[in-house]
Amino acid sequence: MTQTQAAVTPSVPFDTIGSWEADNVTAAQVERALSELRRHEERAALRTSVLTLVIVVGSADEASEHLDVVRHLGARHPSRTLVLVLNDEEETESRLDAAVSVCVVERGGRQIAVEEMVIGCHGPARYHLDSLVLPFTLPNLPVAVWLPSSIPSKGDPLLETADRVVVDTRVVGWQADALSRLHSLIHRVAITDLSWWRLKPWRNLFAGLFEGHMYRPFLRDVHNLEVTGHPGPRHLLAGWVMSRLDLPRSVVHLGDAEHLSIKLVASHEGRRGRFEVVRKGEERVIDASVEIDDGPSFQQKVQIGEEWQSRSLADALGHMGHNETYEAALAAAMGLLG
Amino acid sequence: MSSNPTAAADDVNPLADPEDRPAPPAVFVIFGASGDLTSRKLMPAIERLAVRRLLPPGFAVVGVARTEMTDDDFRERMRELVEKGGGGGPEARHVWDSFVGAFRYVAGDYDDAATFDRLKEVLDELDRERGTAENRLFYLATPPSTFPTVINGLKDRGLSRSSSENAFSRIVIEKPYGHDLQSALELDRVVHEAFDENQVYRIDHYLGKETVQNVLALRFANATYEPIWNRRYVDHIQVTVAESLGVEHRGSFYEQAGALRDIVQNHVMQVLAMTLMEPPVTFDADGIRDEKVKALKAVEILDAEKVKTQVVRAQYTRGWVGGEEVAGYRDEEGVDPHSTTETYVAMKLKVDNWRWAGVPVYVRTGKRLPKRVTEVALQFHKVPHLPFHLKQVEDLEADSLVLRIQPDEGISFRFGAKIPGQAFRIRSVSMDFFYGAAFLEETPDAYERLLLDALSGDATLFIRSDEVQRAWRIVDPLLQAWENDDVPVAKYEAGTWGPREADELLEADGRRWRRP
Repeated sequence: MTQTQAAVTPSVPFDTIGSWEADNVTAAQVERALSELRRHEERAALRTSVLTLVIVVGSADEASEHLDVVRHLGARHPSRTLVLVLNDEEETESRLDAAVSVCVVERGGRQIAVEEMVIGCHGPARYHLDSLVLPFTLPNLPVAVWLPSSIPSKGDPLLETADRVVVDTRVVGWQADALSRLHSLIHRVAITDLSWWRLKPWRNLFAGLFEGHMYRPFLRDVHNLEVTGHPGPRHLLAGWVMSRLDLPRSVVHLGDAEHLSIKLVASHEGRRGRFEVVRKGEERVIDASVEIDDGPSFQQKVQIGEEWQSRSLADALGHMGHNETYEAALAAAMGLLG
Repeated sequence: MSSNPTAAADDVNPLADPEDRPAPPAVFVIFGASGDLTSRKLMPAIERLAVRRLLPPGFAVVGVARTEMTDDDFRERMRELVEKGGGGGPEARHVWDSFVGAFRYVAGDYDDAATFDRLKEVLDELDRERGTAENRLFYLATPPSTFPTVINGLKDRGLSRSSSENAFSRIVIEKPYGHDLQSALELDRVVHEAFDENQVYRIDHYLGKETVQNVLALRFANATYEPIWNRRYVDHIQVTVAESLGVEHRGSFYEQAGALRDIVQNHVMQVLAMTLMEPPVTFDADGIRDEKVKALKAVEILDAEKVKTQVVRAQYTRGWVGGEEVAGYRDEEGVDPHSTTETYVAMKLKVDNWRWAGVPVYVRTGKRLPKRVTEVALQFHKVPHLPFHLKQVEDLEADSLVLRIQPDEGISFRFGAKIPGQAFRIRSVSMDFFYGAAFLEETPDAYERLLLDALSGDATLFIRSDEVQRAWRIVDPLLQAWENDDVPVAKYEAGTWGPREADELLEADGRRWRRP
C-alpha cells in the first residue's frame, strides 16, 4: 500500500485511553502491561473482540500507517492488533521494544475497546515470530496474519499460528513468482487476498450480466475473453472466469492497463453477444453492458467506493474459511503466467 | 472455443457468488406508485440496492397509479423522493442517472381494463429494450380495499401467469391481509384464482429485520440454547412489543385496526412462531414456514369465556411520555370520543405441544408505553433447592434469557452471582450482548432485504397462506368477543406499562411483567 492510499481513509473517532511503552522487554512484561491497562480503565473492561490481527511490517513508519488502517477496521471487527516491526539491522542479541495501548473507537454512539501492541523485533527473534504471536492471541478466537507487502514462504513458522493469512496481489503482483508462491500456500492456510475483495464489484457486475434465461446460455459458447489491468488482479479476474466456465487458455487474452476491464464475446443460437464491464477513466464508475445481435442492448453504470484499505480488509475478514472460488481462480491464473 | 455443457447449466449462473444472491433481470411494477409507502420505503430501498450494486443490469421500474404523470414526471418525482430521503448523493448520481432511464409510468384506474392493457404494452417494450426477460414482480402498495381489483386486473390481462417456464410473475402483498379470518379467506380466494401460492409473497417487514432473523440463528446455530428451550427449564415466556408513539396522524386508520389487527395478528404472531417453532429440517421457505405453521397450530384458540379471563384490552389516557404531556387516545385527531378501539392488548396463551405444554406465553403490545422496545423473554424455573440462607439470596431472581429485537438488538442473560465481600450474598446480574458491538456491519433496511428476496424468489421471510389463516384463527375469537362488547376496555395512563388489569393477569399466576 502506498502512503497516498492511506491518506484517503475516512477518519473515525478514536481515543487512546491508556498506553505503556518500554524498550528491551520480555513478552511476559508486555502481557502484564496490557492487563494492567485494561484493569484500570473501565471502558476497556468490556470487550467484544472477534479476532487477533497480526501485522508484519519492516519499519516504524509502516507500522503507524497500517495501524491507522486497522483503527478504521476496529469499528467493524473489534480486535486485538499486534504489529511486529522487523528491524533489518544484523544484531546478534534478540531484543524486543514494545508499545501497548488500549483505545476506544466510537461508532454509532457506542464505544468499542480495542488493543494495540507494537513490538519492535531485533536480532534472531525476527526469525521466531510465532513465539511472539502465541502469547498474545485472544482465547479461542481466530488469528489473522496480515503481510501488507510480501508473501510468506511455505516453511514460515508464522503460518503455524495463523488461521488466515492476508496478502495483496496488487502490491506483490509485479513479482514474477508472487502468484505461484501464493498458490503453494493454499493447502497450508486459508488466504485472504485484498485484491480479490477489490475485484468484487467487477465480479458481481460481470456475473450479473448473465442472470436470466436470455443471457445465461451464452456462457456455453465463449469465443473470447479479454481482461486488462495490473498484473496480479488481471490474472485473478481472468482465472476466475476460466475456472468458473472451464475455459481453455486459448480463448483468454490479457493486457496491461491502468484500469481493469473484462470483455467476453460468445454465441447462442447463431446470435453473437458482447458482455463487458469496463472502467474507463479516473472517475470511480464502471460501465456494465450487454449487446446481443438483434436483441436487447443495455448499459448500467455503477459506482465503486473509494478503495479504503480498511474497507477491503474489513470485508475480507468477514469471511474466515477457505474461499474455494478464490483458490480455483488462483490455480487457473497459474496457467496465464509467462 | 469452449463448449462445456455442465459449466453453464441454465438454472445456475456459474459466475454468481452464492452468498451474493444476485437478482435476475426483472421489471418491478408498483401499484400505488404515487403513494406513501412508495415514497417512504420502496423507492429508497430500490435506490440503495442499485447503489450497492445488488440489482441486475436488466432491471426496470413501472409505476402504476391514478395520478396523471408522464414517464419524466415520474422519474423526477422519484429522484426528489430519494434525495429528500438522504440518498442520491453526488457519488450515487451516475448510478441513478443510468438507472432511472428504465423507469416508466402508467396512469389509470385499477378497475379500468385499459390500464392493464397499457401496462402490458410497457412491459413488452421493456423486455425488448432493457432485457428484463419477461420477469415481473408486482407490488401492491395500494389501500387493501383495492387488492382484489388489481389482482383481477392482472389476471384478466394474463399478467398473473408467467409467460414461459423460465420467466416469473410474482406478487408482493402488503399487510393488512384481510381484517379478520373471513376476509382473509376471501382475499386468499381472489389471490389464488390469479396466482399460485408459490407466486405470492405476503410481506411483514418485521421478518426483514436482521434481529428477527437472529432469533433463528441463535436458536438453531447454537448447541447451548436449544436443550433448555422447553418446558423442563422454561417457566414462562413474555413477548413485548411496545411503542412510545401514539396513533400520530393515523387516528382514523387506527380506529378500524386497533392493536390486535395492527400488531398482534402479524408482528407478534411471527415473533412468537419463531420463538416456539421446532428446529426446521432445512433453512428454506417451506422448511421454515412448515415449522412456523405447526407452532401456531399448537397455540390455544380461546373461547368466549377465556377471552374474558385471559385477555385485557385497553386504551391510553392523557399522560406523560419522555417528559412530554400527550393526549389520551379518545382525544386524538380522527378518533371517535366514544371509541372502544384498543391501543393495548395483553393476553395469556397456552401452547399445546410436547415442548411447551404448561408454559404460559404472555403477550403484550401497546402504544404510548414508556419506550419503544420489542423483546422475547424466557423466564427459567427457579432452582429446585437453594442451599443458601434466605437472607443470602433475597436479591436473587430466577434466571432469564432475553432476546432484544429492537432497539439495542442483542441478548441479555440474567443469572445469580456472589456479591464480592466477606459475606456470602447472591444477587442477579445481567450479562448483555449487543449485536452492534460484535458486528458493526451496516444492516440493510428490512425492505431492501425483502425486495431482494422477492426478486430472487426466496419466500422464506414471507408469510404463507396457511400462516396468515392460522394467525387470524388465534385472534378472531378476540375480535368476536370485543364486537359483542363482552370484554370491558381498560384504561392506562400514557407513559405507563399498561393497565392494572394486565398486571393482575400475571399476578393471578404468581408472576409479574418484566420491566423491559
